[in-house]
Amino acid sequence: MGHTIAEKILAAHAGGKPVRAGDIVVARVDFAMVHDGRAANALRMIAKLGVKDLPFAAKTAFVLDHYSPPPNIEAANTHSAMRAFADRQGAVLYDVGDGICHQVMPEGGHLTCGDLIVGTDTHSVTYGAFNALGTGVEGTDLAAVMMTGKLWFRVPETIRVELKGRLQPGVWAKDITLAMLGRFGAEGANYRAIEYAGSAVSAMEIDDRMTLANHAAELGAKAALLEADAKTIDWLKAHHARAPQPVKADADANYVERIEIDAAALAPQVARRHQVDDVVGVPEVKGQKINFALIGTCTNGRLDDIRQAAAILKGQRIAKGVRMIVTPASRQVYLEAAREGLLEALTRAGASVEAAGCGTCVNITGHLITGDGEVVISSANRNFKGRLGNDKSEIWIGSAATVAASALTGMITDPREVVGGKWTASGKEVAA
Amino acid sequence: MNTHIKGRAHLLGDNINTDVNCSSKYLPGKDNAYIAQHAFEQVAPGFASRFRLGDVIVAGRNFGINSSREQAVAIMRVMGVAAIVAQSFGRQFFRNTINNGLPALECDISGIVEGDEIEIDPAAGKLTVAARHISRTVAVLPPAVQQIIAAGGLIAYLQKHPDWQLA
Repeated sequence: MGHTIAEKILAAHAGGKPVRAGDIVVARVDFAMVHDGRAANALRMIAKLGVKDLPFAAKTAFVLDHYSPPPNIEAANTHSAMRAFADRQGAVLYDVGDGICHQVMPEGGHLTCGDLIVGTDTHSVTYGAFNALGTGVEGTDLAAVMMTGKLWFRVPETIRVELKGRLQPGVWAKDITLAMLGRFGAEGANYRAIEYAGSAVSAMEIDDRMTLANHAAELGAKAALLEADAKTIDWLKAHHARAPQPVKADADANYVERIEIDAAALAPQVARRHQVDDVVGVPEVKGQKINFALIGTCTNGRLDDIRQAAAILKGQRIAKGVRMIVTPASRQVYLEAAREGLLEALTRAGASVEAAGCGTCVNITGHLITGDGEVVISSANRNFKGRLGNDKSEIWIGSAATVAASALTGMITDPREVVGGKWTASGKEVAA
Repeated sequence: MNTHIKGRAHLLGDNINTDVNCSSKYLPGKDNAYIAQHAFEQVAPGFASRFRLGDVIVAGRNFGINSSREQAVAIMRVMGVAAIVAQSFGRQFFRNTINNGLPALECDISGIVEGDEIEIDPAAGKLTVAARHISRTVAVLPPAVQQIIAAGGLIAYLQKHPDWQLA
């Protein structure tokens, strides 16, 4: 019986002996990340540990992204403590405005194929887009890694998801995960790793692959792993990552479940109010009125997401009464979007572009307070009641294309039905 | 981990989110002592006031779901939680219990009623509710993990074993 990608990566980091799902191993970690939402706890745990020297600090990124900018004194003080600690210990610091942890980690060249990466955030599964096992941990875990460079892991069972065919123009990785959430439920993959493979994955550009891996967090996945190909290797090289050591699953690997999805048959999807797994096809809820449109977050704030939105909104004007915020995932994404004229197009269309960071994913910065009864369509990953500070408002979730098309009309709209909505990342624009 | 646990069962349902019900994530500025007095109120009114030192939380599926702040375990310590028995746990929450030395056992909870006296022997993998003639087997955790719990958590374990060896 062969091995899954998760089994192989954990075995390689735990001394080399083969491991199986269910085994507990102590494994060497390649790089770690802590963000400002969890740094106060992590720093407390490090203090409790009482160790002066943290040799792993040079391989740890401190990212100031959630409280960006800090909305209160407590957060501002956490930021000061993070800056001071990173400086003292030689950790890598990403300050306010540099971007979201899951975007700056790969952009900064901190991970490569075959790596084992931990971060104090459930969306650390994003790194699987690069064939690295990324997983979320807490402060005690981070303290242990910073002291020893190691951590204990339970080797996860793996679900193999084969994405057949190719997504239609106007349909994105976000729609695949939403469809899976509708089918398997939130936490439907709790404790498990997911391997995504198939022609639809090969056809995806890196930005969309990152969405695919990232959004597996809502399925409860411990890791979401893609195999590496030329696109992966080229991207990593361009970002000065360490030499990639791609890890493939064996043909006879032991999977807890195998799932096939016909990507070509998929329509744009939305998660309705309050529940990330209450999912329907956009055509079924066409005409649902919206008040706010949000593009950004670690799930869909990348360049291709902003390009999708601009393809739809360039030369247009968002619907009267709709407010729209666009938050690029990182400073690099922001700069490239500016160079391409996307930020100008979106600003002219009526959107407000904010500095890079986690933005209005959750009510932290206070930049988006919803009114009673108002409806938000967001490219974020979670929509539970009150996430944007008002439990009398609603959050619906969709792809950046669906969000932009909905901003244009003022109601939930299938991007395939508006001009520019069939823009694709890999090829030329497809006429609507 | 070798300690025999005996306490009253306090029931909670499925998909209990400890970020919402047992952390300061949505109660900025409130300390653990305050939250310990109000924990799980929204899902089980009067829960914290009924809870006594050494009692056991008995919950359904996915206990500690979502991003799962480690703080929840510290608050449960203040409440005096001796162990948690659940149908299943959220992944990060389960890590947090081990890292902070709180026994958390995955077990069928059917038939257990609020206030039942429940006995657990984690090392032997046994759960008993004598009054209801319930006797169940609990999966025993691997030795590498038992050692962390026995030490009182990962921080305490690493202080004793700074040269953490591969299991």
